[in-house]
Amino acid sequence: MRELTVRLGAGLLAGCAAFLFSFSAVEAEDRPRVVAVNAPLQYFAARLLDEGAEVEFPVPDGVDPSFWRPTIADISRIQGADLILLNGAGFATWIDRVSLPRSRLVNASAALKDRFIVTESITHSHGEGGEHSHEGLASYLWLDPLLAVAQAEAVAAALTRKGLAPGDAVAARLAALRADLEALDDAAAAALEGAGDVTMIATHPRYHYLARRYGLSISALEWEAGAMPSPEDLATLEGLVTQTGAKVLIWEAAPPAGAFAATEALGLQNVVFDPLARSEGPFIEGFAASVEALAAAVRAVAAN
Amino acid sequence: MNALYLAFAYLRYHWARSLVLVLVAALIMFVPVATQTLLSTSERALVARGEATPLLLGSRGSQLDLTMAALYFSDERPDPVTMGEVERIWDSDLGTPIPLHTAFSSGGFRIVGTTLDYFDFRAFTPAEGRGLSLLGDAVIGAEVARALGKGVGDSLVSAPENLFDLDGVYPLEMPIVGVLAPTNTPDDAAIFVDIKTAWVIQGIGHGHEDVVTAADVAAGTAALANAAVVQYQRITPENIESFHFHGAQDDFPASAVVVVPHDTRSATILKGRYLDAEGPTQLIAPAGVIQGLVDRIFRIKSLLDIVTAIIALAACAAIALALFLTYRLRAREIATAVKLGARRSMVLRLLAAETVTLLLISGGIAAAGAALVTRNAETWVGWLLALGT
Repeated sequence: MRELTVRLGAGLLAGCAAFLFSFSAVEAEDRPRVVAVNAPLQYFAARLLDEGAEVEFPVPDGVDPSFWRPTIADISRIQGADLILLNGAGFATWIDRVSLPRSRLVNASAALKDRFIVTESITHSHGEGGEHSHEGLASYLWLDPLLAVAQAEAVAAALTRKGLAPGDAVAARLAALRADLEALDDAAAAALEGAGDVTMIATHPRYHYLARRYGLSISALEWEAGAMPSPEDLATLEGLVTQTGAKVLIWEAAPPAGAFAATEALGLQNVVFDPLARSEGPFIEGFAASVEALAAAVRAVAAN
Repeated sequence: MNALYLAFAYLRYHWARSLVLVLVAALIMFVPVATQTLLSTSERALVARGEATPLLLGSRGSQLDLTMAALYFSDERPDPVTMGEVERIWDSDLGTPIPLHTAFSSGGFRIVGTTLDYFDFRAFTPAEGRGLSLLGDAVIGAEVARALGKGVGDSLVSAPENLFDLDGVYPLEMPIVGVLAPTNTPDDAAIFVDIKTAWVIQGIGHGHEDVVTAADVAAGTAALANAAVVQYQRITPENIESFHFHGAQDDFPASAVVVVPHDTRSATILKGRYLDAEGPTQLIAPAGVIQGLVDRIFRIKSLLDIVTAIIALAACAAIALALFLTYRLRAREIATAVKLGARRSMVLRLLAAETVTLLLISGGIAAAGAALVTRNAETWVGWLLALGT
């Protein structure tokens, strides 16, 4: 009898769980779906929508969102979203090679074209078409919090226009987000005051907007994120250190053990500054932590 | 009852003559009904295509050419508009612009480069396979699939526009990834690709051996290649990363742009912005253009109606004459019946029964034919219109 009661109870619980699960699944299906091509845009959209929509960042773990290649299934899922948030400025080159519904695309930096940083352009020719140029653009706009504000405003406008959330609610959340980003900018400006006197090298060219916003002098290498630098890489770094007199090396991801020692031998202070394109944590905390680490490295250089 | 029995027995005995009379009478009734049905269905189909497309943006010039190219994917080649015009409409937030690039063909069918918004706009449903996903994918209409005998997994090659054009247009092999369900519209006879794929066919975008890779672009490495560099004529998972476009997308061409305004007010504002007769672009309501064309065509229809009426009248007179002559030939037979005691009214009833039976059978055949035409009119008209393009 007792066994029967236990079985009945377990069955009842399982039934309730299944009902609740199916209910939440249906609810998730009913909610609007927003896809963002990088983590900062996902963060902005999630804050602006609160719990009103599902905000996805489709890039798998460990993959650079700039060079991700979606599968057909990924593309199909992205095509089905109510809104697709693009970063613009050449970020996520895959969007040029897939079919996306233009009516649901939002370029969060469409209004920022005059503030883009143009990297070196390439001129080449092939066929009978004559010479043509490929202009490079720095794309990590959100590393300037004021540009991040502009991106958040573009996202908010799109969410309201598409009716994915009530306009007044989005406006209130945007005001809070703007205040947070402006406070972040003020804190970063204070922390990095005078840091422009210290020449820095980045392991990857990600920090153009950060450098421009806070007057930093950053040269860039082309190292793979999180990889151990090869002897050739270290030789290139040594040459660049000699050329620029750099004192700080910015890593976009923590390298394997031993890498810091190798670069410290060249007289460099190491600092990991996550460019946050695919950060797991909240954008504001991540940015603040990276800025603090960079400021600490600059202080260490000054102390030496 | 006896009169009907005798009439039917008489008609059956003279079956060959009765058959001819029945068929002629059936045709006289069927042809005008069928013609009217097909013509009115054609008119509806033509106007419906126009009415389903609120506005069309294109280069200033023939409105009919623009409409035919954008709605029926005809061979007309209106001057292209730039994608900057498309962006202007997006920026205005007054409607949804859907660019169409119809400059190329394959296997005798037009390649229509567009965006996924066109698929939503026309409410396409794939009968087989999937929609457009990657650069180079092609989704074909039902008529293309039937005529070329192709389906998902096969491929199409764009036709070179000019054999001597060594500079731009390379044939591009495109995998068929989907087949659309029949719509009885010109979409059935179209090959849909992403507009970026159309630009690749045009030579604005291309992929080639590793002269420049995305990493090179990011790194700012200079490169110089020459005419010997192999340009890919098929987009594969291995080479898709090498495909790139030259210049600003705002300068890229589209043959026409379907504009779906958000509401009547937006449509009015949009129309007002393109009123300048000196401007390079025009915004037209294709329904008006098509209605004008249909009105012109259907002016000929009224002439056709008169001809049909005259022929029908002549045929009716011929039948009446045939019946009259039949009765004359049967004068002795009728006289015998009268001598046997049949009254004149009985004779008249007999002749009337024969005539009514003939007309009823003819009417039945004509009605069956008309029902068949009515049921299939949309399919046949769709096929005829598609054949016309």
